Amino acid sequence: MDMYAIRILRSQPLRLVLTVGGVALCIILMFFLLAVYRGVADGSVDYIRYNRADLWVLQRNATNILRGSSLVSAAQGEQISRMPEVDSVSSVLLLLATIRKGDKVRTVFLTGYEPGNGLGGPPRLAAGRPVAADDEIVLDRSFAAKYRFRLGDDVDIQDRRLRVVGISGGTNAFVIQYAFVTLRLARSLVGFPGLATCFLVKVKAGTNGGLVAGRIKEDIPGLGVYGQEDFLQNNIREMKSGFLPLMYTVAVIGAVVLTVILSLLLSVNILERRKDFAVLKTLGSPMPFLWGLVVKQALLIAAGAVVTALAFFFPLARLIERLSPEISTKSSVGQVAAVIAVVGVMSLASSLLSIGRLRRIYYLEVFS
Amino acid sequence: MSEALFREPVVRLDNVSKVFGRSERATTAVRDVSLQAYAGELILLLGPSGSGKTTLLTLIAGLSQPTAGRVQLFGSFIDDYTPRDLQILRARRVGFVFQTFLLLDSLTALENVAMVLGFNGHSNLQRRRLSRALLERFEVGYLADKFPRTLSQGEKQRVAIARALANDADLIIADEPTGSLETRQGLDIIRLLHRQARERRACVLVASHDLRLAESADRIFRLEDGRIMALDSADDRAFCAGV
Repeated sequence: MDMYAIRILRSQPLRLVLTVGGVALCIILMFFLLAVYRGVADGSVDYIRYNRADLWVLQRNATNILRGSSLVSAAQGEQISRMPEVDSVSSVLLLLATIRKGDKVRTVFLTGYEPGNGLGGPPRLAAGRPVAADDEIVLDRSFAAKYRFRLGDDVDIQDRRLRVVGISGGTNAFVIQYAFVTLRLARSLVGFPGLATCFLVKVKAGTNGGLVAGRIKEDIPGLGVYGQEDFLQNNIREMKSGFLPLMYTVAVIGAVVLTVILSLLLSVNILERRKDFAVLKTLGSPMPFLWGLVVKQALLIAAGAVVTALAFFFPLARLIERLSPEISTKSSVGQVAAVIAVVGVMSLASSLLSIGRLRRIYYLEVFS
Repeated sequence: MSEALFREPVVRLDNVSKVFGRSERATTAVRDVSLQAYAGELILLLGPSGSGKTTLLTLIAGLSQPTAGRVQLFGSFIDDYTPRDLQILRARRVGFVFQTFLLLDSLTALENVAMVLGFNGHSNLQRRRLSRALLERFEVGYLADKFPRTLSQGEKQRVAIARALANDADLIIADEPTGSLETRQGLDIIRLLHRQARERRACVLVASHDLRLAESADRIFRLEDGRIMALDSADDRAFCAGV
């Protein structure tokens, strides 16, 4: 890297520190948004990803469980289970419910499932065990941490007292968290014994799931049937449509602020060293050399800011997760690389914005 | 002078004028100037502040365009050069020395000289080697790693001259090179420039208001209100002595 570019930056240490700090904050914001997005994305759909049914059967026109309403009946489930190609049918009932413990009242995405059937339960357990009886509940890990629920605590839903027997992972959908009870309890809470939200169907080995899906739709009108991957994608798409625009907007604002900060510094550096640039032009410096000086400064600041951001981001993310357990972050090398690429592009953009000033520096400025 | 008749001039100005501004606000900085400058001579453009010396230098260097007349540099008309040609020409064949030195504060003496060599495509190693040799030639080799702010005025000007010659300049343009120096330092610098004209066959154009420099000039042109008066050396020395 050009020594002159480095010296220009070092000549104003406070300004350099403030600029690198400002750019680093923008980068941390972008890292954080991506990490939250990834955390939310995984938390929202891990339930589906880990419950590997061959087919998800819902009410027709309901394409997902995150933002869709589906009501199916036990009779429809029994009809499916009687089909010769079907191995098992697990009913799941999802409902919003308030949990009380003393004076604390919180809302959860209550998931009633059949514990003995293997499908529909929590993706993984961080502590304790799955529910085995109607007076038991499994709570999401971040929910339990935030509201200080522990294994063995008693909580109330409507007039039922339930004991916390397990803490689950992969069940934090950011705005709401999953909680697991038996299907029987969930149905009794709703007051409709044969009600379910969806069926998780396993077909017999060697059977074509697509053919079974077609047969279900044909034999039982009013149902929608999706393969595991299609259903997962439906839910991811739904989650993105509600969440991504906000993330993108904030990330774009971060990138624009980064560009503005960099442009400002580069422009000030050019104006302050106006005479130096005029001298260089007079001495025959090629314009690409002068442009290079500006670009190198931008890249040096960006590199310093990336290193600073990386040093601070991971401890900061852990701290935020501790303070707000419902915020779960996940980072990957790909995400870091993507942010660095964006920072590189925005640095070049800020250089281009500032380079225009070089044209307005005139040879005659060097003559006394 | 007779030798000059058979040589191609490095610089040739034919009836050159330069007017700044328009209509009633127009100011004529250079009026109908014609001159020729040759390799191996030091020409002193002598005149008070505002007489048009600096404007004349910028016209010669192709840094501004004449309003009337034509400027020839190294045998070609300035207006035939593209901006890129002029930039290359300045990088490869023209050296500049300024009154306030205009060294880059963030770079050492060596780096100031080396930077100009960089415009000509020299490698890092070549730049450092050539720059050190130049600084040593001007007796400031021991200052190679010093920053300009730590140098005396005379030392700065020597470094600036080393920078001007880094590209083996055929034309050296010096604008008030002694303006910020004490008398003795000023005379040292002008002798140094004169030696470059003699030894390297460079054409050196010096603009100054300092009459004491006349003794080191081969020819002197006196400027008044943008007009130029050519004087031969003997006449000029008499003129200067009279002053």
